[in-house]
Amino acid sequence: MIKASALYIVIIIALVIAMLCASLVAVAYYFRAESQQKHRYEQLSDNLSSGINMLLTARDSAFEKEKTFSLFSGGNDSLTLQRAAWGVYDICTVKAFMQKDTLYKSFTIASQIDSSKWATLYVPDQDLPLSVSGKTVITGDAFLPKAGIQQVYIANNAYQGDKRIVTGKKMLSSKKLPPLDTLRLKRLSLYFNIKGDKFPANDSITASFLGLTKIFDFGNQATTVKNESLKGNILLHADTTLVIDSTASLENILIFAPTIVVKSGFKGNCQLFATDSISVGARCQFAYPSALGIIRSSKEKTSFQPKISLDTGSTLAGQIFSYQSAAKGLQPLITIGKADTIRGFIYSQGTLELKEKVVVGGGVMTSRFLYRSSFSLYENYLINVRLDASGLSPYYLTSPITPIASKKKKILQWLEAN
Amino acid sequence: MAGSELKIGTKVPGSTIIEVVISMIIILVVFSIAMMIYSNVTRSSLSAQKVKASAILREKLNYAEHNATGADETMSVGDFQVEQQIDPYSDTASHLLKVHLTAWDNNHQKVAELQKIIIRP
Repeated sequence: MIKASALYIVIIIALVIAMLCASLVAVAYYFRAESQQKHRYEQLSDNLSSGINMLLTARDSAFEKEKTFSLFSGGNDSLTLQRAAWGVYDICTVKAFMQKDTLYKSFTIASQIDSSKWATLYVPDQDLPLSVSGKTVITGDAFLPKAGIQQVYIANNAYQGDKRIVTGKKMLSSKKLPPLDTLRLKRLSLYFNIKGDKFPANDSITASFLGLTKIFDFGNQATTVKNESLKGNILLHADTTLVIDSTASLENILIFAPTIVVKSGFKGNCQLFATDSISVGARCQFAYPSALGIIRSSKEKTSFQPKISLDTGSTLAGQIFSYQSAAKGLQPLITIGKADTIRGFIYSQGTLELKEKVVVGGGVMTSRFLYRSSFSLYENYLINVRLDASGLSPYYLTSPITPIASKKKKILQWLEAN
Repeated sequence: MAGSELKIGTKVPGSTIIEVVISMIIILVVFSIAMMIYSNVTRSSLSAQKVKASAILREKLNYAEHNATGADETMSVGDFQVEQQIDPYSDTASHLLKVHLTAWDNNHQKVAELQKIIIRP
């Protein structure tokens, strides 16, 4: 039997309706908050992209100091931009903020290759022909001396490659190598005198590119970096030899020292700069974008030859370059070891020694080549090496320091984002 | 009651007229409040029209990023009039363009708006 208690039933129905209304209001509130947040996020994302576009087209000197401004002179479009040199590349940071929300991104930018300046091989005209022998392959355009390129029989090797020798356009080179960007080189050389903090006894250090660079100084004490993981906005400096052990894990960091020794088996992604020498052991792997560079200003008085050397079976993706401001004295030497693979660009202001079975997927610019046999030295000889422009990724971006860089910049690597 | 015999003298439970009137008033009040809340919620929520207009503007922006000619134009897309304004961002940055897209409905009310700095294609 149902009791005829109308008031009780009405109160229960009213409660049910009230609960439904409350849940409806709650759902609407959260939906509105979420959709507003999504709208703000989209607006921030557009502002962030606008900032990235501004950095990609800005002059090199623009945004060196962090700049905050309103993008469209409105209230909700604040943007902070910064661009700073990071070794041979540039690192940019963009922050877009609106009310309490902030979106940020940091990334590396580099230059596209200028096709009018690009060459697989550039040897300046110093009245000396370029001689090739063995299974030498040159694929791509080449700037060659007036004396030309010729096949030779040397060290029991007859030339066995393509009859054209250079599979690509042959052009006449000028008397000098196209120069590197000296302004950027000067800036880089300042880091050799930088002072920093003492290296902490941590196993792992990570520094964000949104903050200040962590500079660690080893001073005059020869040090070996081993069993360490260093990642991000970190610069290592030493006034003497710095040894990088194969157990060290380096990612995106910079190293400045007079002499750098990388032990065999090292794997990482870093930029190494030295005034005297960089010695890389066997089977090392430098991931893109890495760089090895000798920068020798006129202040350095030592009489020995600055040198970059890679031992057998190593690979590097990025750049290798040598620069000496003084024209007199021993010019730097770059030695690429047997069966090494370089994906990128080699610029040697002095001499470049390519040992047998070296593969360069990219381009080479050098004043002269050197071939060393057991008994003698040959100048401007290429034996059993492969210089192949098609081995370079179509997405490869070069450092603005190189003469093949165009003004157009692109994003090379995303570093941090939220 | 159905299925049982009603005997004279027994009490049948029932609501008084006052109870019923009060119940009806409460139900009416509760329902009217509920309807008010419902209409407010549906009116204030993001309309499908706005979402659609935003999607159209985003598509136009993507197109402008790759094919911007620098010309202003007004086009009709579905129920909306889309106004596209492309200007140089500043005198110093010649490679940059400011794209301003606005969607208007049939009553010439602004439905959605987008602004972005793009690289001149």
